[in-house]
Amino acid sequence: MPELELFLQTLIAGFLLGGLYGLIALGMALIMGVMRVINLAHGDFMMIAMYIAYWLFTLFEIDPYLSVFVAAPALFLFGLAIQKYLLTPVMKVESILPHNLVILTVGLAMVFSNLATVFFTGDYRSTPVSYASNAWYLTDYWPDSPIELSLSMPWTLSFVIAVIITIALWIFLTKTDTGKSIRATSQDHDAALLMGVNVNRVRMVTFGIGMILVAAAGCLFIPIYYLYPALGRQFTNVGFVITVIGGMGSTDGAIIGGLILGIFESMTATYIGMGWAPAGRFAIFVAALVFLPGGVASILRKRRLGK
Amino acid sequence: MKRLSIFVAITFIIGLSSLNVYAQDTLKLGIPLPLTGTNAKFGEIEKKSYEIAKDEINAMGGIKGKKVVLEFEDSQGKPEVARSIVERLIDVKKQPVVFGEYSSSCSKAIAAVAEERKVPYLVVTGATDDITQQGYKYVFRMNPTNAYYATGFMSFLNTVVKPKTIAILYESSDFGTSGAEDMVHQAKKAGMQVLLKEQYEKGAVDFRPILSKVKSVRPDVIYMVSYVMDAALLMRQIKELRIDAKLYAGGAAGFAIPEFVQNAKEASELVMTATLWSPQIAYPGAKEFAEKYKRLYKDYPSYHGAEAYSALYIIKDVLTRAKSWKANDIRAAFKATNLTTAFGPIRFEDKAGYTNQNFMDTLVMQVIKGKHQTIWPQKYASAQYVYPIPKWRERR
Repeated sequence: MPELELFLQTLIAGFLLGGLYGLIALGMALIMGVMRVINLAHGDFMMIAMYIAYWLFTLFEIDPYLSVFVAAPALFLFGLAIQKYLLTPVMKVESILPHNLVILTVGLAMVFSNLATVFFTGDYRSTPVSYASNAWYLTDYWPDSPIELSLSMPWTLSFVIAVIITIALWIFLTKTDTGKSIRATSQDHDAALLMGVNVNRVRMVTFGIGMILVAAAGCLFIPIYYLYPALGRQFTNVGFVITVIGGMGSTDGAIIGGLILGIFESMTATYIGMGWAPAGRFAIFVAALVFLPGGVASILRKRRLGK
Repeated sequence: MKRLSIFVAITFIIGLSSLNVYAQDTLKLGIPLPLTGTNAKFGEIEKKSYEIAKDEINAMGGIKGKKVVLEFEDSQGKPEVARSIVERLIDVKKQPVVFGEYSSSCSKAIAAVAEERKVPYLVVTGATDDITQQGYKYVFRMNPTNAYYATGFMSFLNTVVKPKTIAILYESSDFGTSGAEDMVHQAKKAGMQVLLKEQYEKGAVDFRPILSKVKSVRPDVIYMVSYVMDAALLMRQIKELRIDAKLYAGGAAGFAIPEFVQNAKEASELVMTATLWSPQIAYPGAKEFAEKYKRLYKDYPSYHGAEAYSALYIIKDVLTRAKSWKANDIRAAFKATNLTTAFGPIRFEDKAGYTNQNFMDTLVMQVIKGKHQTIWPQKYASAQYVYPIPKWRERR
């Protein structure tokens, strides 16, 4: 029985973590699909959103979950500005290096984390909400249960909100005109252009939506984690690995990839050792590149075509 | 013309003599400290603490009537720089006694020079055991060594808790690994069984998998070596998973500072930690120093501050008692030291393979009602310890 309890508890932890990872990767995959660029400043945009949530909590005692409504629009506008004044001009420049945009995002990441160190110092910060370590317990609802499982309240809350946001995004992408043009641009840039899609506008909107997603992820992470200026790199890595597992640019793949990575990391931590988690993360990354170059998305596509 | 030259001569002589008087009335002490580089933060804490002590001593009339002037020299945390600083202090400035430096490696380099030049050296913070294990005659150490760091905590375990099993979690860094190794050693000596020894990646988001594993082996004591944010996350998730152990303990660092309580909130309640010193400790002058430091610099000092602050008092005590300021007399005065400072009682003893080492009780702190309180040894306690610790389910 203790083995079963250990396994189930690990699975729950992995699932919750995976859902949140998925949300981070979702924004990255969306941007990659439309703009053909890996946004290596993704985690740092998340860091900015977390600072917004942190200050709203510290100065005005606004719950971090509510600060999504401030952080998301703020990062949307910020994303539009970055896209208009930095990414688009660089995109137009002909150069020997085809990866100018990627290099630009790396630069942005450095600028953001260093500016954050200058303005907010390198101190670790968190929003100690009152429900931070509350949880639901199986034995509270079923007293005779042979095993005890617990479900963290803030983690579950974050997970549920992440799911809601994902569904909202899915509806937006499949039902609205803008959403459809985003998908069209993602599938075939030139064809979309020929069909009369304003590709430049679509790019801007997509980058903005990516920012909204990452802002939401930041606000969902801060109640369960903490914050410091160099935090971005860690989550950029996570997002990048998931995007590769999921298949470059595929939003469905990002969600499934997130869950795979979350559960994989938790299982590694329980059954191999937590010190191995980062090594495991990159093992699965390399494995995905070698054995499944198209990622989860390629499997999904095959099944769809098979029908 | 003649008158003028006499005038000049007289002013010159007066000037000289007043300079002389000035020289006699001040005692310049050079202190090597890492003021830049990775250890700069600790160098800064110590510098501020030395200055507080200096102002207090000068207000009380200085050392043997001499006004103390401190000159801080930046060692950048590099042993070779520390070494050359001390060589200059001894050879050029003829300083009768040397003290200071933060890291073990720098203290070790200085100790070798001091022994060679036969000038007494007081080690203030370097904790590596072998500094005072080499039979150096002129090297004295006021702080407990690494091997004695957890003695207070172990004595609490053996007297009050009497645990049979322990689980150790630690971050995968030098600090974490050495802390965990030391605990394994101590636990075995105390007859405890180490059920689990697991490292984790610093900055991890989710500790539940590793903690579920801890839960399934049911240890009496959960011992963690972590920096502050990991410490807070660990305790929060321990509370959430309702892992009931007889004791939750941290190896100083992240668990011993107020930020731990601020971040872990009620999950930090009743958690214990080993430490060398705390701002509420009942040593005479400790609280006053801590409050003064907080008033000046807005934060409580760490134990490094208390060590530096007390070091200058030890120097004052030794130089006051020494028959003359020749090396051998100062050394004799060091040997005879029996002083209680804000950092604790200071006596330099030769025992257990150490020479001129101060042995003192290390402390155990417990978070009680959201505040760190010193609970062990009981003679220094600022509050009665809370034990047994209630199960999570029964709390509140």
